[in-house]
Amino acid sequence: MRLKHSLFTRRQFLDGLLGGWLAALLLSFLYPILKFIFRPTPEPDQVLLPLAEFAGMETGQLKKFAWGTKPGFLRKMTEGGFMALVGVCTHLDCNVAWLPDKNRFFCACHEGWYDANGVNIAGPPPKPLRRLAVSVEGENLVIKPEAAA
Amino acid sequence: MSLRSAGRKSWAWLEERLGMSVVMEFLRHKQIPRNRHTAWMYTGSVMLLFFGLQVITGILLAFYYKPTLEAANKSVGEIMTKVPLGWIIRSVHSWSATFMIAAVFVHMLSLWMIKSYRPPRELTWMSGAVLLVFTLAFGFTGYLLPWDGLSLAATKVGTDIPSAIPVVGAWATKFLRGGDDVSGDTLSRFFTFHVCVLPLLALAFIGVHLYLIQKLGMSLPVGADEKEEAERALPFWPNFVYREAIVWSGLVGVLVTLAVFLPPSLGQAADLMAAAPEGITPEWYFLFLFQTLKIFPANMIFVTGELVAVLLIIIGAALLFFLPLIDTRPAEKKGKIITWAAPALVVYAVAMSVWSLTGAKAQPESVVPAAANIKESTAIYVFIGWMWLAIGVLFYLLRLKIKETDRLHDSRYFNPDKK
Repeated sequence: MRLKHSLFTRRQFLDGLLGGWLAALLLSFLYPILKFIFRPTPEPDQVLLPLAEFAGMETGQLKKFAWGTKPGFLRKMTEGGFMALVGVCTHLDCNVAWLPDKNRFFCACHEGWYDANGVNIAGPPPKPLRRLAVSVEGENLVIKPEAAA
Repeated sequence: MSLRSAGRKSWAWLEERLGMSVVMEFLRHKQIPRNRHTAWMYTGSVMLLFFGLQVITGILLAFYYKPTLEAANKSVGEIMTKVPLGWIIRSVHSWSATFMIAAVFVHMLSLWMIKSYRPPRELTWMSGAVLLVFTLAFGFTGYLLPWDGLSLAATKVGTDIPSAIPVVGAWATKFLRGGDDVSGDTLSRFFTFHVCVLPLLALAFIGVHLYLIQKLGMSLPVGADEKEEAERALPFWPNFVYREAIVWSGLVGVLVTLAVFLPPSLGQAADLMAAAPEGITPEWYFLFLFQTLKIFPANMIFVTGELVAVLLIIIGAALLFFLPLIDTRPAEKKGKIITWAAPALVVYAVAMSVWSLTGAKAQPESVVPAAANIKESTAIYVFIGWMWLAIGVLFYLLRLKIKETDRLHDSRYFNPDKK
């Protein structure tokens, strides 16, 4: 049935309403499912390393540590103190290697090069390696994301 | 080009290549009888609904579940406490399994009583009997996966039962366990059965079962007048689909509500060296078998009681499978003994289940999930409220559609052969 000036029939209206409510119900089931699938995996607030293990490092030497699920590099600076880098290439997420004889970081995936300070110098990497803030608190080295320090 | 004409054009493009309108034509012609047995016709699609829910929630759980001796219990614990809304997904999976098995039992017993297995539907019944075994196997294998004390004990007992059978029994137990004892290998094996072997087999048999139902049409009550039934019958599409939609949305609502308020718990990780926990029981659908095994004495004249019990269970399953070949009378003949065997079986199973539950104890020290914080629990209440509001509105709209389509059907508006 369709009234003279109506744009659609009663059946079209009813079908639209039914489909709309059905879609709304299905979408509201989709939301919790998406929440479940996209579980937040936050990076660590801070990582504590025992100072004793790293105090004996020579100037310019590097040691690895775990930054959550990523590799981190700790480097003893010439002026004393430490520098921490996340050892993940800024190009496409591969883990980088430290080549001590070349004094550079190397990413084998697409031949990316970084210098000892993590600055990108050759190959495809668009940015330097990510830096982390390091501070000494008592017996521990505290490593935090740079902004939080 | 307007949106509507674009849609029509792409539909025509697909239709030209896929020819899906044949299916729609078929569904328009499919007749659903309208008589005192129509209610049982819903149980079939209800099982499909729960099977679909199991597939979805099962895939979601498998995203985080780790089927190893060390990690299984811990990963289920993480799903229930750390993954956002993981406890609800697990709860829906567990409740949907219960609903599915209940629907399978109702489906089987009702079609048994109304004699839908009679010629020419023997193979439909037999493929259904195989699907019943698969459903129970899904439940049995899934019960081990959380790897707590209860699931370990249940699996030890369950996989030991076949060993009572002469000749092949020991081999069957070894096959199920992946060794002489229940171990980490059993867990890997059960996980493989649960998420790979059984779903593939079940899908194949569901395909055969559904094909046979479409091929042979719906069964009519014993002694029904075929012409009269055909007059009264409704087309599956669209009249019956709207009725199914009411049942489906109502059941989904009940399922989600139960899953939120009564989530399953999780016991401490299973210890292969620990004694079985006191007062253990299997899942409710195995209780009657569990109690049957309990009441047989250790020795009966020449053989062990276990062997007698296992043989009786096998004979019972065989009788069930071969029912259409035992009762081969034509469709219009009554058969009272077989009709009343079904409720007798129900009474036996319920009595045995109640008996086995006297003295059962809950497992101590278990993780019981709940909303993680006030924000989450408020959101869940809002969600439940919204869901029931939407379902209520859907009920109302679907009823309107049922009235409309029935009126059009009765006035012969939907003549499927009319061009």
